[in-house]
Amino acid sequence: MDRRNFIKQSCFLSIGGLIVPSSVLTCCRKESLFEDINYAGKVIIVGAGAAGLYAGYILKLKGIDFTIIEASNVHGGRMGKLDGFSDYTIDTGAQWLHGQNNIVADLIKAQNIKTTLDDSVLSYWFNNQIVDSLPKDPFIFENKNLPDISFKAYAQQQNFGSEYDNIVEAIAGDQGASASLLSAYWNSKDEENWTSGDEDFKFEKSFFDVLNDHIAQPVLPNIIYNTQISSIDYSGDKTILKDSNNNTFEADKVIISVPISILKLNEINFAPALPSEKTEAFSKFGMGAGMKVFLKFSTKFYRDELYGGSVCGAYVDDTVGKLTSDNILLAFIMGDQAANLHALGSDSLIANALLQELDEIYNGQASSTFIASSVHDYTSKPFIKGAYGFSTIGMGDARQIAAKPIGNKLFFSGEAMNINGHHQTVHGAVESGYKAVIDILKGIKK
Amino acid sequence: MKIILVVISLIFADNSISQTLTLNIAYDYCYSKQLDNAIQSYNFARPFLANKQPLLMHGTSVSASYIFKSEKHFKHGINISYSYFRSHAENENTVNNYNLHFLNLGYLVHYDNPEKWKGFYLDLIFSATSSGLFRKINQEPFVYDDNKSKALGIGGDIGLRMGYEIYVSKSISISPFVLIGYSPYVYSPKNEVVINQTKGLTGKNWTGILNAQIGCAIHLKKRNTERNSV
Repeated sequence: MDRRNFIKQSCFLSIGGLIVPSSVLTCCRKESLFEDINYAGKVIIVGAGAAGLYAGYILKLKGIDFTIIEASNVHGGRMGKLDGFSDYTIDTGAQWLHGQNNIVADLIKAQNIKTTLDDSVLSYWFNNQIVDSLPKDPFIFENKNLPDISFKAYAQQQNFGSEYDNIVEAIAGDQGASASLLSAYWNSKDEENWTSGDEDFKFEKSFFDVLNDHIAQPVLPNIIYNTQISSIDYSGDKTILKDSNNNTFEADKVIISVPISILKLNEINFAPALPSEKTEAFSKFGMGAGMKVFLKFSTKFYRDELYGGSVCGAYVDDTVGKLTSDNILLAFIMGDQAANLHALGSDSLIANALLQELDEIYNGQASSTFIASSVHDYTSKPFIKGAYGFSTIGMGDARQIAAKPIGNKLFFSGEAMNINGHHQTVHGAVESGYKAVIDILKGIKK
Repeated sequence: MKIILVVISLIFADNSISQTLTLNIAYDYCYSKQLDNAIQSYNFARPFLANKQPLLMHGTSVSASYIFKSEKHFKHGINISYSYFRSHAENENTVNNYNLHFLNLGYLVHYDNPEKWKGFYLDLIFSATSSGLFRKINQEPFVYDDNKSKALGIGGDIGLRMGYEIYVSKSISISPFVLIGYSPYVYSPKNEVVINQTKGLTGKNWTGILNAQIGCAIHLKKRNTERNSV
């Protein structure tokens, strides 16, 4: 072969063998999912928590017609804020960004939102005294190969005496659960999937404001408030939703973004009834009582973070990461402890019970410096009824089954429906929100 | 990169026993459905970033082959290659980079037939592949919990390279070449964790990768090697 032929042949070879397929592939390869999708159907999102709002945010930017139907008179779900109680805005719901490797962290980087690492030092109320460390390390629940028994039973199995009960309760409370209900095995499986990072961050502004300003604002015109969906009929071509006042709404696709407690309690009637594997999956979720009480004092007499109270498992200095001169202590109460306080029936009784315990721990300094309290009982909120979904004994693949769409019509989102280990978090809810939209658009593309 | 330089230096140092040492540089086109899906999901889920993250598609590759002495048309040797792909997006407050590296070390079967094929040659390369995917934000490695965001992978690769040698002297030739490579399975469970910051939401814990290269090689031959093309 002479050089002329070589050049000719290698040109053909390059063009035919490499450049053409590469060019074709390059043209087919889009930078984003569903770049050119054009969907004229109607989507209804039930619930305006973080998941529902984010699903709406994505749909809005895709130009898809949607409505968010919210049972209460506010959006945000288990996120909220309190102005006026202190000289900074208090997050009454979710307040920590858990880890940096997640979509919410990307949002705050992009918007240049100020956060602070919460490096509060943990102390313990143990055997009636405040200690900096314990004789035995109680953080035994992240080990592998744990048995499918409760945190409480596992701690007992590992020879932790009753003096550790309130500490274990506080650790379980971090998952929104009672130590007697949270599965050591399934919780550790959840932890294995956790990829966000272990450091916690707080917002200089409130977490609620971040969500509200950057995600909720664009979708506010699409939210209908004070409308409780009581039934969803997905038997026909169109899905018909009915509210408690018998008003009807018609949709092609429905994203159900209510707390798992609402689904567990069958507060929405489905026609036809949901498959039994679905309802069984819902029933396997735990959703314990949850309460946050903010206590304002004239001086700071308390530790940054204290585990081990019998009335409240975890007391946390709420002002970490905030620009404030106030002294606000957060009582973070979950599971049985929250249920006990809820049963007291009034905010003042709840505050008194907490002050009594704080007086015992801090030698009477709580009552003498107390200014005011603000109680946020999520158990008593009629459309939430608890803290967040946790993995109970025998959980198995309930989360995956619960999150599966039904008939390309019903899609499930919310923190509990996050199948990649990020449940119980705002970023987990956000992920489940955009996942529901991906599932809808995949169905349309087919 | 240091490892590559050391290996190349060793090969040069021991060139006396080789028939041919080949150094290649190429444009590399990469296609991985799983990596695409992770970046597409990243872009889809983050409309607050005005500029989208490009797919990991275009890169460069350098490689060195060392073919042992043989009088036969089929020869064998070893091959080491390194490829680099980058996805770069600039947004207000955030410059985000994904850097994907591949290092392949493998066995090579070389075929040439000066009588029939003139200067054409074929290399069939079987390699073990290692990959590393890293994220940088604002030119700094993305660190969380004091660890760099990274995904390491391991797998296998098969590649077919075809080129045409043009001699510039008795012992040196150059050749344009094309290469098609396929890695059917690269186990890299954290790719999605690095890109979309999720696990099991956009894909599996492995990737399949197809790549195509077009480049140029320089062949350094022993002086007593028979010239096989004009």
